[in-house]
Amino acid sequence: MLKFVGKRLVSALFVLFGATIITFILSRVIPSDPALAFYGPKATLDQSARLRKEMGLDQSVVIQYFKYLKDMLTGNWGYSISTKQPVLHELMTKVPSTLEMIFVSIIFATLFGILLGIWAAKNAHKLVDGSVRVFSIAAVSLPTFWLGLLFQLFFVGRLHWFPATGEFDTELKFLNPIKHVTGFPIFDALITGNFHAVENGLWHMVLPALTLSLYSLGLISRMIRANLLEVLSQDYIRVARAYGIKERVVLFTLALRNALPPVTTVVGLSAAYLLTGTFFVEDVFNWPGIGKFATTALLNVDYPAIMGITLLGAMGYLTINLIVDIVQAKLDPRVRSE
Amino acid sequence: MKHFFNRRASGTRGIAIGVGVLLIAASASATNGAAAANGILKVATSAAVTTWDPVQSFSTEAFYMTSLYEPLIWKNEVGAATEYSPALATTWSHSKDGLTWSFDLRAGATFHDGSAVNAAAVKASLDSAKKDGGASFIWDPVKSIEVVDANTVAFHLSYSAPLDLIVSSSYGAWIVNPKALDAVAKDSKYYESGIDAGSGPYTLTSYAPGSEVVMSAYPKYWGPKPAYSIVDALITSDGVTAQQMLTSGQVDFASNIPLTSMASLKLNHKFAVKAYGSPFNYVGYFNTLRAPLNNPVVRQALSMAIPYSDIVKVGGQGYATQARGPVPAGIFPYDSATPQYKKALATAKTMLAKAGVKNLKLKITYASENGAEARFAPLIKSAFESIGVSVDIQAMLFSQQWSLAKKDPANAQDLFIVYYWPTYSDAGSDNLYSLFHSSAKPFFNLSYWKNTQYDDLIDKAATLTGTDRAASQALYSQAMKILYDQAPGISFYDTKAVYVVPKAITGFTYNINYPFSLFFAKWSPTK
Repeated sequence: MLKFVGKRLVSALFVLFGATIITFILSRVIPSDPALAFYGPKATLDQSARLRKEMGLDQSVVIQYFKYLKDMLTGNWGYSISTKQPVLHELMTKVPSTLEMIFVSIIFATLFGILLGIWAAKNAHKLVDGSVRVFSIAAVSLPTFWLGLLFQLFFVGRLHWFPATGEFDTELKFLNPIKHVTGFPIFDALITGNFHAVENGLWHMVLPALTLSLYSLGLISRMIRANLLEVLSQDYIRVARAYGIKERVVLFTLALRNALPPVTTVVGLSAAYLLTGTFFVEDVFNWPGIGKFATTALLNVDYPAIMGITLLGAMGYLTINLIVDIVQAKLDPRVRSE
Repeated sequence: MKHFFNRRASGTRGIAIGVGVLLIAASASATNGAAAANGILKVATSAAVTTWDPVQSFSTEAFYMTSLYEPLIWKNEVGAATEYSPALATTWSHSKDGLTWSFDLRAGATFHDGSAVNAAAVKASLDSAKKDGGASFIWDPVKSIEVVDANTVAFHLSYSAPLDLIVSSSYGAWIVNPKALDAVAKDSKYYESGIDAGSGPYTLTSYAPGSEVVMSAYPKYWGPKPAYSIVDALITSDGVTAQQMLTSGQVDFASNIPLTSMASLKLNHKFAVKAYGSPFNYVGYFNTLRAPLNNPVVRQALSMAIPYSDIVKVGGQGYATQARGPVPAGIFPYDSATPQYKKALATAKTMLAKAGVKNLKLKITYASENGAEARFAPLIKSAFESIGVSVDIQAMLFSQQWSLAKKDPANAQDLFIVYYWPTYSDAGSDNLYSLFHSSAKPFFNLSYWKNTQYDDLIDKAATLTGTDRAASQALYSQAMKILYDQAPGISFYDTKAVYVVPKAITGFTYNINYPFSLFFAKWSPTK
């Protein structure tokens, strides 16, 4: 098992290295003047020249890359051109909000994806099955940002059920501030007993988490349905039913357990997808996470921030893939020997 | 899980969850109304902070600066009883030749750390702005700043200039606590964590980059106490999202609602849609380095092909008027007698043929993040194509559009569309100079046009603005006529500043001289 994990780690490092090279070159190749993001749209020629020199942009791309690599390995990920804050600090303060939303989205997508998949499989080839299929295809196909705007229009604009944006009500920080412990806001509110903030935070999270989870939900429900139908057609299921074992036990204890392993890969990859899905969702819902930071960085061609986000995203993907591989290997010894 | 799919239990559970969600929604929504009662003004804005350094400030952070800092005097909005209002200076005068200006400072004004605003602080602030500021060019006429006594400061100019306009600029004219000037000289990142060094009615309480700015009323402010003790600005780049925040009551005011939404918001009884003259306009530059655009007749012909009224309708959504030259209406030296091109396709086609132009292909660039440009650029394309000129439109980020225009002007775009505004309320020394005065290295003159007669007129007019406004206006008007005749650029339209003002707020005004700013200290809840 250790050898398996070791091999995966080594290949992950190569992937990370490759990702930094590609992103670095792309961000340097795109014509742009960082002075406009740094000083504003009326940045003078002198300011532009001075900034290029300070950022080392007057040197060759190769030298710039190796300088970046050296700084990155010593914890200096540069300063964001647009926010003027250290990139690593920006990422660390914004990641918790994104992770909380991703966590809730995964829970929602997995739970309801599995339930929908079971419901569809139980009613295979009936109206319920068809409806779930249409829903799943729509969830996977419709653009996330469009769904987010639609939810805002309907649930906020028409029904007034949820807030349009943000992580908490603005007044909360003045009337009922959350004490900083771990940096994860809702978690901190929970462990410090600020239940009003927990409730408020979860209420704010409903629409963005729902929007973010739909793609994965659609994927998981289709996968569960397909796997479950295959498993339910197995001989041992027929034997179990013939023995008069309750249908609930057949479904959840015997069939679902064998239908789940392939779905763990999908759940893992979905979690990775959710990292990039946050780019649109956080922008629509003004969520203060790395997704919103990333869209701002891209629009401003903020090189240091783009590099930092790419690096963090790549680390996230690789970590999740590694966890999925380990879980798969634990569940299925054949994977280890491959 | 065992009993989850028990029908009765699951039905009950489902109802409980649904009721729970509704109860949370109802109770949470009740907190929104608490804001106004607590003196908290919540605002959605797209105004990002490029820098908190008031000397370097030259971008959308001006939205906050007018609450945190003060100049010597304020330029009043169009139609006000007086042209200027006292701020940190209470009285001012100038010599007959306009070369010496004197300002008497307000007694009792303090910076947010309690230290006094005095002549030494004024000198230090404006010397710094002149030397290093983002808008340092506005101080070119000033030779030196003298501390006459603790509360009097004098400006000595090398040539006459409208110093009252300059000291009331929304960029490069803030009076800053000298301690902060010393601190930033040692550490250029001093301000960036969210520090203010002003004397204004609000002080910066907290800053989450890209997300939120919170300002609190400064208790020792010399002027009236603001009705809103806290201004909480949520930085929201998407205009539709900002609109949702406003209409759902999540914020009290939103400054960046799309023009395309105004028609529906006009029908909402909670809001009034108000439009004001603004200093913003849309300009296009022809690349005069490239044939056949180096021929004024070709440029005139293309100017006559532009569908101005359609562009005003589509780009401005009814909140714009066709421009008369690059100086926006309401800003000196705007002249309503400046001629405008009108759409005349047949004439345009004939002129192109006479100039020997055949199979002309043009590249037009515009900023993809600008919604108005994205709407009206295709109209230019179809208009040009109707006179036999094929067009390749390229949308790109402004920083890329800018970089392309500077890198290799001879091979850059043929028409560069830009959204512009003057740094301060003198569009003669800004718009007319920046956009079309020749220079060794083009800054904003992205038509790369050189005309010595035009340059001379502009240079002379600038020296008369401070002492003989009428003579200055006459010279500027002549210069604008040359721009019309030579057509190095296209003046598309002057846009209005449109705001959705909640009826629950009183005191909202828009001052054309501070285009990005809103004066929150003057607002109050409607009784």
